Amino acid sequence: MDVRSSSRARTYHEPAVLADRPPFEDLYRDFLGRIYAYVRAQVGTPADAEDITAQVFMNAYQAYGRFEARNTTPAAWLFRIARNATLDHFRAHGRRERLRRTIEHQPVAEADPAGQAEERIQYRALLARVAQLPERQRDAISLRHSGLSFDEVGKLMGCSEDAAKMLYHRALKAVREAVQKEGV
Amino acid sequence: MSEQEEDLELQALQRELDGAFESTRPRRGFEDELWVRMQAARPATNRLRDAFAGFFEGIRAVPRVPMGAVAAVLVTALAIGVIVYGGSHGGGSATSSGTFEQSGAAPRAVDAGFGMLPSPVLGSAVSSGQISGGAPTGSEYLGPAQISWAGKASVAGGSVHVYRYREPSINTADQFASALGAVLRQRPQGYLGIYAASKYTLRIRGTVGSPPSSPAYMIDASTSMPPIDAAGASPADYASIFLAQHSLEPQWPYTVTTDKSGDPIKVVYERQFDVTGYGLAYLVNSNGDRYGLEVDLRADQLASVTGPLPLSLDTADYRIVSPDEAIRPTLSSQGTNGSVLPPPAVQLTHVELVYVLVPAGDHSFYEPAYLFSGSLQVSGKTYVKHVLAPAVDPSQRTP
Repeated sequence: MDVRSSSRARTYHEPAVLADRPPFEDLYRDFLGRIYAYVRAQVGTPADAEDITAQVFMNAYQAYGRFEARNTTPAAWLFRIARNATLDHFRAHGRRERLRRTIEHQPVAEADPAGQAEERIQYRALLARVAQLPERQRDAISLRHSGLSFDEVGKLMGCSEDAAKMLYHRALKAVREAVQKEGV
Repeated sequence: MSEQEEDLELQALQRELDGAFESTRPRRGFEDELWVRMQAARPATNRLRDAFAGFFEGIRAVPRVPMGAVAAVLVTALAIGVIVYGGSHGGGSATSSGTFEQSGAAPRAVDAGFGMLPSPVLGSAVSSGQISGGAPTGSEYLGPAQISWAGKASVAGGSVHVYRYREPSINTADQFASALGAVLRQRPQGYLGIYAASKYTLRIRGTVGSPPSSPAYMIDASTSMPPIDAAGASPADYASIFLAQHSLEPQWPYTVTTDKSGDPIKVVYERQFDVTGYGLAYLVNSNGDRYGLEVDLRADQLASVTGPLPLSLDTADYRIVSPDEAIRPTLSSQGTNGSVLPPPAVQLTHVELVYVLVPAGDHSFYEPAYLFSGSLQVSGKTYVKHVLAPAVDPSQRTP
């Protein structure tokens, strides 16, 4: 099966843009939403996601002078920082605490300003299932659906592109089983 | 379950995950809050250094103008005395100055400029200008005409801002929708997204090449949209209240006009650009008609809103030619149109600096242009003719 036939176009993958390093604010405005979503899919609470996202961009801002555009894409660079920050968060709080908070913050309990939009609740439930996956599966799903190529996912996770595809596929099946089991 | 069924199920799950990730965005205001925190957390020495850098960049950004040109500008300005601005200002009530970004930040000056600019496509009849309708006074004349220019140049050239924006991404559209509390429904061809809120549907699209149109959002009210509660208010008031309730007030200068001649009533916030040394210049379409944000109302009920998607703009200064120079190619390219009867003669007597959208792929531009107008008599009736011509010096734009 072709796990995912197309990847979404991303502004900063263009070599011409990389050669001329964009202002950090452009990066910030373009990637904040994606980085937040990546983090949010893993930590379960909006407050934690905001804290980690803030840490990611603080770190990136300080390190931007050392960013080498010819070695990596801004997307891969930022997601590496995000991944490290998320792992640091789990190390600090422990997996048990993370699971507890994820379960405590099941989507049905959250108020929705747009009138409890059904689709939004369903999406949150789906992300809660992702958050409960084993760490590497969770990471593969989150990175891939944040718009990274399998090559980039593999590099970030320290494995080959093919291994990243397999990991992602297994994770996808695990999410589907969880959805079927719990009727999301 | 067959392998094919399993594949279909997994593909559906992938689409749901795509939707889940794309619709998960930080709360409104977080982006600007964090940016401010990041700026505040920088060492004071860095901030001071940047302040100086910005100061010197600002000096470098000042266009180099030959002394002869400076002298010519001064002489022209002295001769004219006061720069005259033309064009009617509609039935406008308020002109409000604002900034160009949703966040309220000013457009960023780009030191190195944008390179050669794409030329606006203003029509097919004439290579560098278009004869079109749209009249400040009198009825429009849409037919061919023999044009001459006899007006006084109210603009003497110099340099003005060109604005550039990056084509909005799906993320940009999603964030805008999310801020309004709307949820993604689909992404059909031609749209960045179609979203649903409890009382309306929101559509967002990027730049349209022909006819040129800025990235826009469109709100279509559903039947459950309640009336706007403001007894005795004018249509412009209703529009203003709705926009304020949804934080959609324009962040750029504008003039409000109301057209009550049809159903729905149209309240239009005509967009303007602030031109140093000139004043406010309207954004016009390729017909010379002003546009911006439009609110359509039926009595006290909102029907729809169409407005430009808020995007950050970069600016760079470009040399513009005088109106005399700008109209010259149009005049020289006029020929006989092959008809037995010669077209009526139109003497253009008035010119106004305006801005036009020039789509150009990943980045598009708002470029200055001149809108010429003049009147003519046909069968005893007065008509007005408009001609739009690019203002940026031809040497700074592609043919």
